[in-house]
Amino acid sequence: MTAASESALGALATLSRDLADAVERAAPSIVAIDARARIPSSGVLWRDGVVVTADHTIRREESISVRLEGGSTASAVLVGRDPSTDLAVLRLDGGAGRPAALGDGAALRPGHVVVAVGRPGADVTASFGIVSASSGEWRTWRGGRLDRFIRLDMAIHDGFSGGALVNERGAVVGVNTSGLARAQPITIPVSTVDRVMRELLEKGRVARGYLGLAMQGIRLPDAVAGALRLPSRHALMVMGVEERSPAADAGVMIGDVLLAFDDRALRDPADLLAALGPESVGHVARARVLRAGEPREIEITIRERRGGGA
Amino acid sequence: MTTMSRGSAGHGAELPDELAVLVERVGRSTVEIVSWNGRGLGAGVIWEGGIVITNAHVVSAGEAEVCLPGGDALPARVIALHESRDLAALQLRRGAAGLLAAEAGDSDALRPGELVLALGHPWGLRAQASLGVVHRASVPGAGGRRWIEADVRLAPGNSGGPLADARGRVVGINTMVAHGLALAVPSRAVSRFLRGARLAPAA
Repeated sequence: MTAASESALGALATLSRDLADAVERAAPSIVAIDARARIPSSGVLWRDGVVVTADHTIRREESISVRLEGGSTASAVLVGRDPSTDLAVLRLDGGAGRPAALGDGAALRPGHVVVAVGRPGADVTASFGIVSASSGEWRTWRGGRLDRFIRLDMAIHDGFSGGALVNERGAVVGVNTSGLARAQPITIPVSTVDRVMRELLEKGRVARGYLGLAMQGIRLPDAVAGALRLPSRHALMVMGVEERSPAADAGVMIGDVLLAFDDRALRDPADLLAALGPESVGHVARARVLRAGEPREIEITIRERRGGGA
Repeated sequence: MTTMSRGSAGHGAELPDELAVLVERVGRSTVEIVSWNGRGLGAGVIWEGGIVITNAHVVSAGEAEVCLPGGDALPARVIALHESRDLAALQLRRGAAGLLAAEAGDSDALRPGELVLALGHPWGLRAQASLGVVHRASVPGAGGRRWIEADVRLAPGNSGGPLADARGRVVGINTMVAHGLALAVPSRAVSRFLRGARLAPAA
């Protein structure tokens, strides 16, 4: 007599089969990218001939090869990379593979069962977890914008970053990375990947606005805020101004207190980063500044960032 | 069937109960291997014919004590050992009647993403369950031996215990952890081991 043969575990067996089917369905779009030492990183064939991966896994920009399901390989060219969202796009030179069936990352709710599918070598790998948190738009520590912040309760194994998050129906709902939230597993939603991929394909880069300011959040004394009838006690103090930067050219000085930027209240330096997206380049912004107790308005022409900083 | 059916792909309110049933079912064929002074060494699986399967690294000596799911501790003798495959077969000296053998699954049919359950006694705590999925169904190891790689949390004390599929069929024997992933000896290799030791009829 054996223990397992008594009654069927129907729902569990169905879920198990669904998960394995989901992995099987996603597998032809999951590739291995040979662009670093030791183990290949994972990537997702997002559309014909275009692979998306996690930017931090790409350590070599030349002679990149991509291994597809079934073992065939294709050489790939790095189209562009956006460290701010940790995404990179490669274009394949030939090679088959089936582009991913894309789902809706915004539909993910905490508790949803998901599988991370990677390919850190010849075979696809599957890791099990649930969505642990899902909230609205999120600014990365490098200033990139994710349409949703989707955190996963899942162990991070080789091949996690750059691989796909797959729902139980086999649809790809995001590109995974451990490089954006202090080594926590998150997934970059489909809509964000689409947006960054289009930008990289068109321009080869994602432009970022640049002011040349180092700032710190402060709380103004009640007397000051009251006297000036400020709507908020929060502001940003200028701790540094880069030479020949847009802020320096506009006359911003160390010690200035930034109250608002284009009428947007400022509470945290991230609030300013949010105003420096690709579309901000060339824009003349109005900064409301408190200097020596006197409010004034300064116009700053935002330029494109080269290298890091805000 | 209940009226609640919120699962998007048709698995709803039955799931939590079924997980508990699965753990209980696999647990009925899971034993603890202890040393003569009562220290936990690892886990084992009751196989057909009243034989207990565990890892060779759990029972290196000729004798061991087997704690059955009901709590009885019975002396057992190692009757077959395969060091490099890390498998051992134990024969209970008495009380083998009424043992509930695990149903062996087909490790060759495993697919990545499939649910798996590991049962064992990590850190000496009796009968702990962890749930995960098959990470890679078959990975090559030393000597051409193949392993099941599973995304499931193991700890010392899981060694020799069952890795079971969603229906409670034992598909592997949990053996070690590498890079945070569980490595299990496939059930097919267990069958080959038993045939090789003439403890099972040749296929």
